[in-house]
Amino acid sequence: MNVIKGFLWLLGFLLLGDLLVTWLQLPISAGVVGMLLLTAWLILRGRLHTDIAAVSQPLIALLAMLIMPGVVGVFFVLGDYAHFWLAAVLALVVGTLLSVLTTLWLMSRMMPRQPPRESDDD
Amino acid sequence: MTEFWTELVLLRDHLTATPIASIAITLSAFFAGNVLFQKMGRPSWCPGILLAALLVVLLLVVLGIDYTRYQAGASWLVLLLGPATVALGVPLFQQIHHIRALWKPILLTLPPAATLAALYAMMLAWLAGATPELLASFAPKSVTAPIAIGITEQLGGSVPILMGGLLVTGVMATLWVNLLSRWLKIDDHRVLGFALGINGHAIGTVRAFEISPTAGAFASLGMGLTGVFTALFLPLMWMLLGL
Repeated sequence: MNVIKGFLWLLGFLLLGDLLVTWLQLPISAGVVGMLLLTAWLILRGRLHTDIAAVSQPLIALLAMLIMPGVVGVFFVLGDYAHFWLAAVLALVVGTLLSVLTTLWLMSRMMPRQPPRESDDD
Repeated sequence: MTEFWTELVLLRDHLTATPIASIAITLSAFFAGNVLFQKMGRPSWCPGILLAALLVVLLLVVLGIDYTRYQAGASWLVLLLGPATVALGVPLFQQIHHIRALWKPILLTLPPAATLAALYAMMLAWLAGATPELLASFAPKSVTAPIAIGITEQLGGSVPILMGGLLVTGVMATLWVNLLSRWLKIDDHRVLGFALGINGHAIGTVRAFEISPTAGAFASLGMGLTGVFTALFLPLMWMLLGL
């Protein structure tokens, strides 16, 4: 019963997100707005909601299965996009190399040292 | 013999007339893919979801089921993606103490890192002559799938191409973080986890949990915040660029 109640809560936040997206003509998906509303509500509440926690855990565990049909689609459309292979390799392989490099560099600059080692380097 | 064959084809068409067959195919491929993934020793270069998807492709081809028919049936299952995305608010809430403790470095690094992850991909693809549809499919490549699907649909990209991009990006991010952190001599697990989550979404986060629980927590945090930030920033940038 907890799971059903929790699921109803999630649907409520999803519908609320959809309402906001429609009214304010936001260029964001209803699910993301619902997620942010749920997070904000939990912060205001100050603690986790047991029914929502009960349904969230199994649902999140299922995420991989829910996006799998989309992955199946790749193999059926790949032929239509084959001539863009260079764009794909550049964006996905080189682009990810650059963004990992940037992130590591930025993070190691900004993050306060966890185990205080030599304080005089940098 | 031919009569028997026609009978079989009719039976298949009867079974695939409702979404049940598609859902059963998806579930069984998911479990079989998982078993295969464990048997292979959980390789980071081949995510379990790719194995499962290949099994579905194999089943569809062997059984002669039309892809659009499968997709129409599976969409009943994919409907759950909406509430599952909302559910991601729970782990985000559970990470809130990390955000409170380290809000300054997070604020200084996450927005530029997430912005650049999208921009690098778009610039490089654009230089190679990609269409606006392709740019919209690659832009959210570092975002966790449920959020990225919403973004790509908003921008007018192709969801199947996005899914392929997400898989490649996740695998590449894991590889690059491994190689570059050794080269740059970075061994702070918070930094490694963050880099894996920001660039490699769920695939990177799985790898981070293998490094340490701290790396895993920061990867989930990086993944969640990148998803939220990119979902807000990309559509706005799209409007400004007039794409």
